[in-house]
Amino acid sequence: MNHRIAAAVQAKPAAVQTKLNLSGVSHTYGDGESVLTVLDNLSCSVAAGELVAVVGPSGSGKSTFLSIAGALLTPTRGEVSIGGRSLAGMNERQLADLRLHEIGFIFQGANLLPYLKAEEQLRFVARLGRADKAQAARRADELLERLGLSERRKHYPDKLSGGERQRVAVARALMNDPSVILADEPTASLDADRGRDVTRLLAERVKAEGKAGIIVTHDERILSYCDRVLRLEAGRLREE
Amino acid sequence: MFLALREIRFSKTRYVLIVAIMLMVSFLVLFVTGLANGLGNATSSAIRNMPADHFIVQQDSDDRFARSELHAEQVKQAQAIAGTEGAQPLGVRMTTVTREGTEGRIDIALFGVQAESWLVPETVEGQPLSTAAAGEVLADLDLKKSGVKIGDTMVDGATGLKWTVGGFTENRSYSHMPAVWMNEKDWAAYRSELMAARGGETDTAYNAIALRISNAQADQLRNAVPDADVISQSQAISAIPGHKAEQSSLLMMIVFLYVISAFVLAVFFYVITIQKTAQFGILKAIGAKTRYLAGSVIAQVLVLSVGSLAVGVGLVLIMKSMLPAAMPFSLGAGTIALSCGLFLGVALLGGLASVVKVAKTDALDAIGRAGA
Repeated sequence: MNHRIAAAVQAKPAAVQTKLNLSGVSHTYGDGESVLTVLDNLSCSVAAGELVAVVGPSGSGKSTFLSIAGALLTPTRGEVSIGGRSLAGMNERQLADLRLHEIGFIFQGANLLPYLKAEEQLRFVARLGRADKAQAARRADELLERLGLSERRKHYPDKLSGGERQRVAVARALMNDPSVILADEPTASLDADRGRDVTRLLAERVKAEGKAGIIVTHDERILSYCDRVLRLEAGRLREE
Repeated sequence: MFLALREIRFSKTRYVLIVAIMLMVSFLVLFVTGLANGLGNATSSAIRNMPADHFIVQQDSDDRFARSELHAEQVKQAQAIAGTEGAQPLGVRMTTVTREGTEGRIDIALFGVQAESWLVPETVEGQPLSTAAAGEVLADLDLKKSGVKIGDTMVDGATGLKWTVGGFTENRSYSHMPAVWMNEKDWAAYRSELMAARGGETDTAYNAIALRISNAQADQLRNAVPDADVISQSQAISAIPGHKAEQSSLLMMIVFLYVISAFVLAVFFYVITIQKTAQFGILKAIGAKTRYLAGSVIAQVLVLSVGSLAVGVGLVLIMKSMLPAAMPFSLGAGTIALSCGLFLGVALLGGLASVVKVAKTDALDAIGRAGA
């Protein structure tokens, strides 16, 4: 199984830039007699402009995979590099900075701040990243327009529909121009049409801006928008 | 500040309610503080505003001037060590007078001092106290509120002696009575009248000796003057009848108000922070640092307490201007600043539990919280 992933990695054209790379990553919970191995020598790499779906049954380790790829969790073994930088040896602050600038998260159920208007959601992450204000405003305008939210920029999340909220979340993830976009079940709380809509827009942005995108999902309907589908089983990723 | 202010803007009701509580508590803190100060002044300003650092009183007088009696001999002994300038005899006696030609009685505290000494308070109106002007006294401005004017004559109820008000001084009361200052000759006359009326002892010239001395001299005096105690100014103040009881009960209220405001804020912010744990997890996941988030909580605490303090101070000042003159209330800029500072400190302390909670929130909570 392992050599197949390796083959898949090697099969990619050498000119394409690898934005996210996990190699030989293992993660175990617990210690002593009751060790639970969640990820077992997993390798995976995603190139710029590529949207990859990760599917798998409950308890297959999707959350752990996403946490490790998102620099929230340090794996027991193995190496992670994001945007060409290895995460090994980074402290909490450096990891937070890396998440801020190199990773865009899209969570299940948009998880926007209820007290910020749509455009403020974007300006806020720019502020966190100490971005230039005028530039941030331009970027926010552009993203909101691309995602069809220009009319809704002054609305609070509770005045937006589920699909609009998730589109704001996509815009927020893209705001700081990260290398990697990680989406955790982004369509779980949306109906089929809106789910496809959001995924299409996400795929479009990933391609247009050259991000490495990973969607962890249960939703078979959106797989057609993804370039590759990886199945997480027994702690490893298998190409479908 | 970005998050702090926008959250307050969004959840107006919630924050308006907490500001209302804070406002009332801060108003009460300032009001009770003003009352405590005012009462403190009414009981002790005549002693507090004296430029003396120590006093000699009779032994076993419980540090109370009214109970203490000192002989001329003791005054001489004290002056031998502290110098004539450093040790000034002081007579204190409460009495009741009537304004000549009227019936109404007025309680006053008589202070017998050597005219032109440092014990005599500054004159704000009329003539200062002088040795030459017999029967002329210097009265506290409070007496003016009882209708006494410069040139009026007061008749002492006990002795029938008459004194003319020559001038006014301010902020000198003793045990809720306006102080009236007289020179040594008038004091001696008053004493001998009083003694004659009692048919008793002679030569209990003064009640206390006000001192301006070093600590070493105080120790020296303790040994040198027989049957006498050397006490500090604050001891003398707290021995004034009623002073300690008033101040300690008011102080207890003030302390409780501070504790209450700390707890109210602590509970409010802690509950809100717990509600927002998921949000903080998300924020940490997208790269916000604990310092930023804790700063946001602290900024909210500051905005709310500064806001409620500003309104509270405003209300107290309005209240102050409307209070009747007889109400003992005194709140200076310094006291307001100190109270506000303390209040802010206490508020920040209240926000601490929330900051700890924010620091403990794990960014990992953000991922797969609902399935996956």
